[in-house]
Amino acid sequence: MLKDVLKEINDSDYISKTNIAAKLNKSEGLIEDAFFQLNRMGYIKEEKTINSCNLKCSNCPYSNSCNNIPIKSITVTEKGKKLLGR
Amino acid sequence: MNTIALVGNPNSGKTTLFNALTGSNQHVGNWPGVTVEKKEGVLKFNEKIYNIVDLPGTYSLGAFSEDEIVARDYILKGNPNVVINVVDATNIERNLYLTTQLLEMGAKVVVALNMIDEAKERNIKFDIKALSEKLGAPVIPTVASKRKGIEELIKQSIELIEKDIDFKANISYGENIDKEVEKLKGFLNNKDLEYPSQWIAIKLLEGDKYIYELVNKDENVNSSNEFKNVIHNIKNNTEDYELEIVDKRYEFVSNIADLTVTLPDEAEETITDKIDKVLTHKWLGLPIFALIMLIVFQLTFTVGEDLFGELMGRGIEILSEIIENLLIIINSPSWIISFVTEGIIGGVGAVVEFVPLIVVLYMLMGFLEDSGYMARAAYVMDNIMRALGLQGKTFISMIVGFGCNVPGIMSTRTLENKKDRMIAILINPFMSCGAKLPIYLVFIAAFFPNNGGLVLFFLYLLGIVVALLMGKIFSKTLFKGESSYFIMELPPYRLPTLRNVLRNMWDNVSGFLKRAGTTIFAVVTVLWVLAMLPLGVEPYGQSSILGQIGLFIAPIFRPAGFGTWQAAVGLFSGIAAKEAVIATLGMVYAGVSQGAELVSTIQEVFTPLTAASFMVMTLLYIPCAATIGTIKKETNSYKWAIFTVVYTFAIGWLGAVLVFQIGSLLGFS
Repeated sequence: MLKDVLKEINDSDYISKTNIAAKLNKSEGLIEDAFFQLNRMGYIKEEKTINSCNLKCSNCPYSNSCNNIPIKSITVTEKGKKLLGR
Repeated sequence: MNTIALVGNPNSGKTTLFNALTGSNQHVGNWPGVTVEKKEGVLKFNEKIYNIVDLPGTYSLGAFSEDEIVARDYILKGNPNVVINVVDATNIERNLYLTTQLLEMGAKVVVALNMIDEAKERNIKFDIKALSEKLGAPVIPTVASKRKGIEELIKQSIELIEKDIDFKANISYGENIDKEVEKLKGFLNNKDLEYPSQWIAIKLLEGDKYIYELVNKDENVNSSNEFKNVIHNIKNNTEDYELEIVDKRYEFVSNIADLTVTLPDEAEETITDKIDKVLTHKWLGLPIFALIMLIVFQLTFTVGEDLFGELMGRGIEILSEIIENLLIIINSPSWIISFVTEGIIGGVGAVVEFVPLIVVLYMLMGFLEDSGYMARAAYVMDNIMRALGLQGKTFISMIVGFGCNVPGIMSTRTLENKKDRMIAILINPFMSCGAKLPIYLVFIAAFFPNNGGLVLFFLYLLGIVVALLMGKIFSKTLFKGESSYFIMELPPYRLPTLRNVLRNMWDNVSGFLKRAGTTIFAVVTVLWVLAMLPLGVEPYGQSSILGQIGLFIAPIFRPAGFGTWQAAVGLFSGIAAKEAVIATLGMVYAGVSQGAELVSTIQEVFTPLTAASFMVMTLLYIPCAATIGTIKKETNSYKWAIFTVVYTFAIGWLGAVLVFQIGSLLGFS
């Protein structure tokens, strides 16, 4: 299943866990868990834009508003690509 | 005293069950050596007392987090007499992964199938008997919040304490791994280890570093050369084994769920899916994004300027008159009156006057952000970035740059590829930050009041287009190499909450006001002094130091149509902070410059065409000092900071000149 999820991630234009769950006939919760496992094992890398607010710019008057857009990005790592290539 | 441990996924209702079991008989501490909270309580049942331990909520029992380690160590080493695994019945597949790991550990497990009422409401049905048989553990439906099924759960747990049964998961990890497990068990059995040998074998194959260390330290186990060879071979295949083991657990869970759980008929296409089919459409996505932004900008002017703008301008004028009169009454020196009314109120007031527009703009943007649309906008733009051969993540830093270029540039740290990062840093200043808004708003109010939204829209668009073009040029010249790609996760749409929208608006407006009261105030003070010196010259005149600086720079801007010393000084001060452009213009058109008067003065000294070229210049030219400093810091090079100053000035100047010269040729004035 994990490889199937990884393939779906790699082949998608954008990630929708609902779509992947429907396509693989699994529950969304299980797909959520699969993402967690793939991330833990280093096959994908998940990042949220909020990370970039971990900056030393608290003195900036705009620091509260610098990064409100909740964008989560996922990159298939080299390890992930290697697995898909097999 | 017998001990019952509670373990479960976060939000499975574990703590509610703990409270239901223990009532007020509980205390909170910390697990030794870590900052994870430890909750213990006492259950009194049939005149017997049981110790209840609430383990941290976790999805897995690996060594990925402190919570996981605490939970697994307690189950394996704390020797609870029974483990109640709280399972969320509405999300059973995900929850059973943890159950599987508990069974692998050989723990005596009772499954509390919690929130069974919610599952029923969602039409999820269970064959409890079959589920219990497949897992090899009792399964008790519960609703912890309503104390339903609790007594049965306690009875089953106590019954299990007294029984001598071996619990194990009947999972096959595939022929190869099963053989390896058996081989390892051969070395591990009867070695008096802290953990069960079957579990250690699986963990070794999964590449669990903690278990590797444990085994390596144990001379009883590690003394055998044969064992060392086996471990060495395993290490070379850990990646494959780990994936396979996790996958087999999922297979085990899925098979059980398929046989024992009936889910409602296939979910219909969600509202999010339906909306996304349109909003993220390959061809429609971008025009829709453009249209939405156009509406946002137009509404900003209609609501912000037309309804509240005049009120704010009038308010500042009245405040100015009151303060001036007060200062006259208390016989203040004329230079103080000049500084306060012309310097502070003329300069800072000219910026503050646009607060109503900022309020409306950021409320609308907050609405879009909270609804989940902005992530779609980023996705739509990501497609263009890819088409241009640029890293999509660059656009995230560009979006951040719309607020302020400093965090925009700092957010490029998430780009691993140096080429991608350098390009993202160098093009970020073209993103029209919030500080540039007052400049546009003054010029739009002066010359394009009926098309304000459209003009603002084209300015933002121009910034994006120039940034993308420069990105493309840089990727073909200065920073060649292959870009890396990423995929974006789109959150579901939701109805924005008033609280979030207002908070977003306030974050931005308070930042804007803070800047007006600090940076802009400081810049205005310095410029006011320069406008007064040397003593004896006409204040705010071209003979003042400020006027002389302006006169020196002004010729550069003649081809762009705004070669006055005031405009030049305004642009110069904008290097300190972009709002200072308007504060400076407000001040140098001295005394005449509060509120709507600045707009009418600008109408006298600019034309629609020169206003357009001036706005293009302010959009594209040298970023503010804080941004330049950040570029130096992030690239660790003065070279790139200076390069940015020079090239953005050249682009800004070229853009302004093109607008003015082409406009003139076409007969605009």
